[in-house]
Amino acid sequence: MHKTRLLTLSAASLLLLTGCACSEEEERQQEAATTYQSIDTVPMLIMQVQKCARLYTTEYKVHKIVTHDDVVRLQGSLLKQNVDIKLPVGDRKVAIPIDATLKAYIDFSEFSERNIERTADGKITILLPDPKVEMTSSKVNQQQIRSFVGLIRGGFTDAEMTRYEQQGREAIIQSIPRMGIVEMARESAARTLAPMLRQMGYREEDITVAFRHEFKPYDIRKFLEVRSE
Amino acid sequence: MKKDKNNIQLIVKALALAVILLLLWWLLFAEKDNHLSLDTDDAINPTPEQIQSIRDIGQWEFLSVSNEELVDTLRRGLIKDDQLVRIYYGTLRLGFDMKDVKLEVQGDSITMILPKVRLLDPDFIDEARTKAFYESGRWSAADREALYNKARRQMLSHALTPQNLETAKDNADIQLRRMMRAMGYNNIFIRWNE
Repeated sequence: MHKTRLLTLSAASLLLLTGCACSEEEERQQEAATTYQSIDTVPMLIMQVQKCARLYTTEYKVHKIVTHDDVVRLQGSLLKQNVDIKLPVGDRKVAIPIDATLKAYIDFSEFSERNIERTADGKITILLPDPKVEMTSSKVNQQQIRSFVGLIRGGFTDAEMTRYEQQGREAIIQSIPRMGIVEMARESAARTLAPMLRQMGYREEDITVAFRHEFKPYDIRKFLEVRSE
Repeated sequence: MKKDKNNIQLIVKALALAVILLLLWWLLFAEKDNHLSLDTDDAINPTPEQIQSIRDIGQWEFLSVSNEELVDTLRRGLIKDDQLVRIYYGTLRLGFDMKDVKLEVQGDSITMILPKVRLLDPDFIDEARTKAFYESGRWSAADREALYNKARRQMLSHALTPQNLETAKDNADIQLRRMMRAMGYNNIFIRWNE
């Protein structure tokens, strides 16, 4: 009797599984048969136009491979014991290559007579504000993205991928102070402006390009910390 | 005899079930400190940033056009339609190269011969800033690449207009005159080499 029930149950399960597989196969075939048609449905635009006077002096091309290991952990407290167990449900890994362009610029929007110092012997000093750095573009190499997904896990969603890319972008921005781009931009500004000043009749040895550091509240805090040590 | 044995088995099973339920109740409600959750770490791993190239540029920017484009693609299916919607960000910078500027100086007069205002960099989309808005179905790298190109085309058509190019040109005129006046020139002439 038990054997008969077991056999009936097994047969039903098998039928159910076969049914699922068939419907999935059908769906896949239907998808393949469907012609891909790309249609715009949401035209939308937000645009901001800003007048400026910036001289970009240095360009850095930066490459970063953003990686993420996705492990499911059971965490918490049980019988006053901390629990942290890696569950064997399958890991996910992804590597996203990103290329970014960083450009350093001098803001000339406040440039006036106060930025020029001339001496009687024909020397000229141009006093400029400190260079600023901006990420002007970034490109995710979609073709080179590699992901590994465990058997019982779902693939990475677009929302997850863009979240990792945004974190990678932030990491590149955070690393700017370590790249020496500001120092390079100062030297480059002098090299860029010198030909213009030569065309104006100044000799190479009479031209000085200096930079004025604009102190911000956090700079003052840095000084205070140094003094307190 | 057989009936008694069945009754004993039933009592044992009921008792075992009661013990399990009691244990579960105690774990879930009586012991307040017990809590368990499934967690995944959402942070990326620390990896190095590699500088691939450094170069001197001398690019004057007189107008920046920041764009935010909602771009989508739809794939018609027999059962259901798949859709991918993303928000792209980009800034188009309009100006010219410093090396293309020519100066003619005579006493306190200066003539600046300026090149045509153009898009300074063909790569202006900050793709790593892209936000996912909606996704249904599976999408390949080629689909995302196509969406990126579509966003680029849209940004170009919206931002690189004759009106914006003219605004950039006017602003270049104003800013360079102000700069040259600060440099001590009284007569400033600007010519566009277009």
